[in-house]
Formats: sequence, C-alpha cells, structure tokens
Amino acid sequence: MEFDKKNLLKLGKLARISIKEDKLGSLGEDLNSILKFVDQLREIKTDQVDPTSNSLEQKLLSREDIAEKMNETNDVLENAPEKEMNFYVVPKVIE
Amino acid sequence: MTENLTIKQASNLLKNKELSSKELIELYLKNIAEGKELNCYNFVSEETSLLEAIKSDERRTSNSLRSDFDGIPIGIKDLFCTRDILTTASSKILSDFIPTYESTVTQNCKNSGLISLGKLNCDEFAMGSTNKTSYFGPVKNPWKLKGSKADLVPGGSSGGSAAAVAGDLCIASLGTDTGGSIRQPASFTGTVGLKPSYGRVSRWGIVAFASSLDQAGPITKTVDDAAILLDIISGHDNKDSTSSIKEKENYSKNLNSNVKGMKIGVPKEFMSDDLPKSTLKAWDECKDLLKSNGAEIIDISLPHTMSALPTYYIIAPAEASSNLARYDGVRYGLRAQGKDLIEMYEKTRSEGFGDEVKRRILIGTYVLSSGYYDAYYLKAQKVRSLIKDDFNKAFNDVDAILTPSTPSTAFEIANEPNDPVQNYFNDIFTVPLNLAGIPGISIPFANDEKNLPIGLQIITNSFEEQKLLNIAKNIEETVQYRATPEKWWIT
Repeated sequence: MEFDKKNLLKLGKLARISIKEDKLGSLGEDLNSILKFVDQLREIKTDQVDPTSNSLEQKLLSREDIAEKMNETNDVLENAPEKEMNFYVVPKVIE
Repeated sequence: MTENLTIKQASNLLKNKELSSKELIELYLKNIAEGKELNCYNFVSEETSLLEAIKSDERRTSNSLRSDFDGIPIGIKDLFCTRDILTTASSKILSDFIPTYESTVTQNCKNSGLISLGKLNCDEFAMGSTNKTSYFGPVKNPWKLKGSKADLVPGGSSGGSAAAVAGDLCIASLGTDTGGSIRQPASFTGTVGLKPSYGRVSRWGIVAFASSLDQAGPITKTVDDAAILLDIISGHDNKDSTSSIKEKENYSKNLNSNVKGMKIGVPKEFMSDDLPKSTLKAWDECKDLLKSNGAEIIDISLPHTMSALPTYYIIAPAEASSNLARYDGVRYGLRAQGKDLIEMYEKTRSEGFGDEVKRRILIGTYVLSSGYYDAYYLKAQKVRSLIKDDFNKAFNDVDAILTPSTPSTAFEIANEPNDPVQNYFNDIFTVPLNLAGIPGISIPFANDEKNLPIGLQIITNSFEEQKLLNIAKNIEETVQYRATPEKWWIT
C-alpha cells in the first residue's frame, strides 16, 4: 500500500493524531520508505515458524490475593489536566 | 584525584574520609554547570541532591550506611519515573509531568544510597539514535573530530546518559535499551554500556516504549562500575510480570577476568565492506587479544542478522503505538483544546508528539490494523523466532559472541541523514539482541583515525551477565584503554 493523502488521513484518525495538510507529503514519503524497508521480510519463509511475542521463557507468576494500598485517588488525579471532585473532566461527549 | 571518578574510586574516597558526599555532589554540580553546553541534563536536582548528600554523610558518621556506595552521585535517564521530580521522556507531551511514584530501578538505587544529580536528556520516548529527537534539543558528544570544532552526536537514545558519563558530568548513569539505546551511545562516547537480559531488571515505572524489548541498564566508565550498578538495579520485582525469578549473581564480587578455554564466536554476517577500516582493525585486534589470553575464536553464522532491523521496525512501532495510546490529554500530560473529545485527543497528540514519535505510532497503527496484522506484525514475530533461534544454536557452540557495537563512530550533528531509514542503520548490530532478549555490553577499545572511540560488543546467552562482564573485564584489563575526551567546554 502507498501512503497517499487519503490513506494517511485515515491512519491519522485510527492513531488519533491530526495531520496538518502541509505535512502530508513529507510524512507520506517517510512512511513509504519505512514500509518499503520492512517489506523485505516477505522474502523469508515462515510457514512452519511459531511467533515470538516475548523472549522471556517464564510462566506467568501468581501471587497471594492480598490487597495493597497503591495508586490512591489523589495520586492518580495529581497530574490530570482538568479534574473535578474525584473525576477527570473531558469535553462533552453526549449532547 | 577527583577527575573522571569511577564508582569504585569515589567509594574509596568516601570510605577513607578524603571527601564527603556533600563535597562530591558539589564537585559534580560544578561539572554540570560548566558543561551546560553539552545539554546532557533536562533537569538538575541541585537542592535535593545536596540534602541527600548531607543525610548520607550523617549515615556515615553513625555507621548506618545503606551500602558501600552510599553517597555516590549518578545521573538518571529522563525516562525513569522519579517521585516528585520532573519526568518528561524528553517529550513536549510530558514536559510538566511530575510522577507520584518511583520506578523500581531508581528506588533500588536510593535503597543503596546512590544520589540522583538529575534527569538526563534522551531521544523523545527513547526513539532515536542521535538524541536529536529530544524536545529539549540535541545533546553534544564530549568528543570532537581531530582538528574540527563541529559538534558530534552522542548517539541515542540514552545520549545524555552516555555523554554525561564521558564528559564527567556524573560518575555513572542509568539508561534504557530497546534496540541499542545504551550500547550505541556508549560506543559513540567511549563509555561502557550494558543491556541486561530481558527480565533481569524491572521495567516498572519506566516510561514504556516497546514492552517486549525495553530493558534498563548502566552506562559507566569501567566494567567494574557496570557490575556494581547491575548488582544494585537487578532482581525480581513483583510489580513487573515479565521480571525474571532467576536468582541473580553477585556480579561485582564474582567479577574475574579469566577467559581461558572460553569459545568466542565471530559472526560472518556482521562483517561488511562498509565497515570503517579502523573498526575492522579494532575487531581483529580484540580477537587476537582474547586468543592470546587463552580463548578460542570460532567463526559462526547468524543467518537472519540482516532481517533483524526490518523486524524491529515492525515490532517496536507496533508496541509503541499501543503503549503511547495512553497520552490522550485526559489523565496526565499536555492537553490541547478541541471542540469535542475526539478532536481534543487528535490535537493533543498532534501537538505533543514530535515527528519521529508520530512516524512510529502511525507505522505501528498500520501494521496492527485490520488486514495488515498477519502480513506485518505476525510475520515479524515469526522472523523474531528465527533470529532467537540463530542465537540459541550459536550458543550451543560458543560462550560468547564478539562484534563491533556500531557500524561507524560518532558523526556530526549537522550530517544526520534526513531519511529515517538511514538513521535506523545505526542500530544494526545492537537490535538483534533485544529481539532475542539476550544481554550485550559495549566497551571502548581504541580510537579511530579521527580520534573518536570505537566500541566493541560482547554478547552472551540470557542471564549470563557474569560471563559477559568477565570477558569485558579481560579486554579492558588487557588494552588498558580508558577513553577520556578533552574538556573543550571548560573555558
């Protein structure tokens, strides 16, 4: 696929990054060049290969179900750009 | 006596009461002020570091030291969350972020009495290999080309961490390495940079880039110091589900430089006509050195080496696009105004992220999107298995692998290529290790004809850091090369 204007704007929507009109050209070139580079993997045979998502060969650990005090409300809200009472404030979602 | 101090030397000075921790901190705050032009620090903890030093001196008086290294100043990459201290990931989107918690690694340092001098500049969200993507501007390499005043890149992404150690703006530092971000800048600055095995060091509280590849590690002036810092920062952590339960060793205590009978592999795929002659020469000399110290050099093959970089540039952006979804202007960080929620998200992320970060998020979003997932992301995960398998096979025959750390020495900031893919090649020798989860160390070996340090990389199998450090120590001891640049920034 080529990253033309239409595709880029769609990708920007998916990634929630607005892309300025004057950046579309150079960004498209960069992404096409990256995609062309990674496309070389197509030549490698992998039919019989299992994927590796993580290199650590260790089963997930379990722990005792004991409640700990961490991430308390004040700490969690400390850096919020806008907050009210114990809530994050965001632009209106429902009309 | 107090120039270019190592952790070991500083520890002795403190122990023998030749220097107090307060004096040591004052000395380094002065070095930092003099070296401001290098732009190593995003934030200097002047007050808190002095307060901590006074407390450390009090502990010394009352015989209640936390460790042999209590009172020693280090620098911390601005990617580790530090409680009540600015943590920006060198990004506009986090430029005001003050965490309410402390990363496990930095907490471990505090528990040993180490004192933070401040937060070190890096590429934005650790994405880059020249430190030029930082929102706070590029770091300058303390090294200069012979007969030139041009500024050089320190490498990246832990460029500030490496340059600060090389320029003596701290005794040692902490970095992170996702595809080479500790080893590549260490190579460019003549410092020792260690990326531990995946799972050896907790990732908890480190700003996430690519979670299956990220690993924290030390950048130091000597191999001894790397072992000391690894002792301090490593170990199992309940807060990180990918942290290993394997017992760690006492790396500094067990450090010895014996390589007799060891088999060292040299992969033919790392050999290239494009490598500078001086790098090839250093690599050859190191092989000879190890041989004369009793090791056996064996030619090996890692057939999928050239596939590592494209694999990385699918997996790392995919994981990054997912990890960086959290920067939405709601819970922390920058918020831009928008007429509705979606526009607020889009504007916040557009204004808050730099170009390279945006490129990676977009590529990551693409390779994970419906219809492309199998062709790119799953494919890359399969090739990752092949790369890991190459190393597994190699380690059936050899104890360790020796390669150059980087395809070139440091280059001019002004000469950085515009094409992002060109820049990705800086990490060609370091990326395979992250994909395989194995440890690697870059150590300075010699200067090239331009007077710049050349780094060589030693690689072992997972959780064989002791062997890795021992081989590095052997080389360091034999070459007796300690890379120290001239301090041109002091006028």
